[in-house]
Amino acid sequence: MSSAATMMMRNVARRSILQMPRFTYPSVGSTRLFSAKFTESHEFAKVDGKIATIGISDHAQSLLGDIVFVELPEVGDEIVKGESFTSVESVKAASDVYAPVSGTILEVNQSLEDSPETVNKDAEGEGWFVKVEMSDESELDDLLELDQYKAKCEEES
Amino acid sequence: MNCRSFSTQSKPKPKVSFLNLQGSGMSAIERLCLEEALLSHDPLKRSWAIVGTHEPRYNSYLPNPEFNTSNESCLIIMGVGAGGKPDSLLDIEKVKRDGVLAVKRFSGGGAIVVDDSTLWTTFIGRNDDFPHVDPHSESIMAWSANDVFHKVFANMKADALHHNIISSEKKNMVMDTTKSCQAALDNETSGKHPTEDNSTLQTTEMPDFALRENDYVIGERKVGDNAQLIVDGAWLHHTTFLWDYEEENMSYLTLPSKRPEYRGERDHDDFLVKLRSTYALGDDNSSKRAFFYHVKCAAFEAFELEEVLLKDAMKVVDDLGGMKAWFEGGCRTKILDL
Repeated sequence: MSSAATMMMRNVARRSILQMPRFTYPSVGSTRLFSAKFTESHEFAKVDGKIATIGISDHAQSLLGDIVFVELPEVGDEIVKGESFTSVESVKAASDVYAPVSGTILEVNQSLEDSPETVNKDAEGEGWFVKVEMSDESELDDLLELDQYKAKCEEES
Repeated sequence: MNCRSFSTQSKPKPKVSFLNLQGSGMSAIERLCLEEALLSHDPLKRSWAIVGTHEPRYNSYLPNPEFNTSNESCLIIMGVGAGGKPDSLLDIEKVKRDGVLAVKRFSGGGAIVVDDSTLWTTFIGRNDDFPHVDPHSESIMAWSANDVFHKVFANMKADALHHNIISSEKKNMVMDTTKSCQAALDNETSGKHPTEDNSTLQTTEMPDFALRENDYVIGERKVGDNAQLIVDGAWLHHTTFLWDYEEENMSYLTLPSKRPEYRGERDHDDFLVKLRSTYALGDDNSSKRAFFYHVKCAAFEAFELEEVLLKDAMKVVDDLGGMKAWFEGGCRTKILDL
């Protein structure tokens, strides 16, 4: 390869790198899910094909305080978007958790039975509640993107 | 009753429906079922204030299961998380031996023992009616303590002090009369005049009500248990105040591993206090009625109150298929199989 051609290729490569969109993890929260969407009631859904991993947002756990109990549903249960499918307990209060999408529960995070504090430590990572096979992927359309959700949280606080 | 503005800025008071369940015959379990129905299924989405005392075991609306029990005087009620681990909060062997019924409720918190003297208060707040109360546990408890229960217990204290003074005066009058009669008799025989009795009245020192680490206390002792359920757009805050209780019934509860700092290592006898010991006005029924009267007065000051009859409140349950269908279906209050 000639030196001029090499130089041209290097310039093209440098321009490509400069033009590449940058992904930055927001400063709030410990672990941000790459494609998470959020509800106005502070649940998240991370989608991988037809499977949605669902839990409460990092903002929600900070509002609740120390979580002492997560009432886990059963594998095989049907959940319906907008309806309560479980609850978490903190400081004498049980708080309902609402389904961001409808579907069938495929997996439950059993580790929360003995370690509910995982939700406080890593709500959007290890603190997930259930994995669901979605029955209607279009229900994702009206969930909030990360930036929209952050704006809502800032507005609330 | 005086009606004060909700705030100095002429903001409208929250509209609240007042339901008095005293003398309704409703059991504790039925009360919990009704509360959950009103919170989650009231088509009018009303805020509520509900008071009453309840039979611990025998139902008026639900069928009464047959239990081989030797202790029907109380009911154990466990929070949503506690109900999943009853052996951590209950002396299971004793509970089973005595056949005491235990239920899991829909709100948080630990385990309590209620009987027919327990004083129940419940507030259901819609966020739209209560914009000044954040729908979180600590905010709700602070609101209830400041806006409702401080006034209630200040009035209870005033009633009790007044009752003590009147009782002392009557006692002294009897004593004075007796002494006067005796002195008169003595004077007749001895020719001397009776002297006046200058004994002073004793005032009873009563500790004040406070919210302490999420508990309602009188002084250093817990006077009732409270818990919350928070749903989209609303919250429910209910409290069971201990008017009187059998110490033997409290022995079904073990010392919880997670407990407030101010409790220390105190067992239930040293940690709890009966309202009766501080606020009794002579007979229990009058005293309990006085308590609920003061709750209603505090509610009247804080809210725009509308009284609702039980039959109208029960329409919400009727629309769910009736109490039995609701209890066996979507209602989260359930009998625990220990």
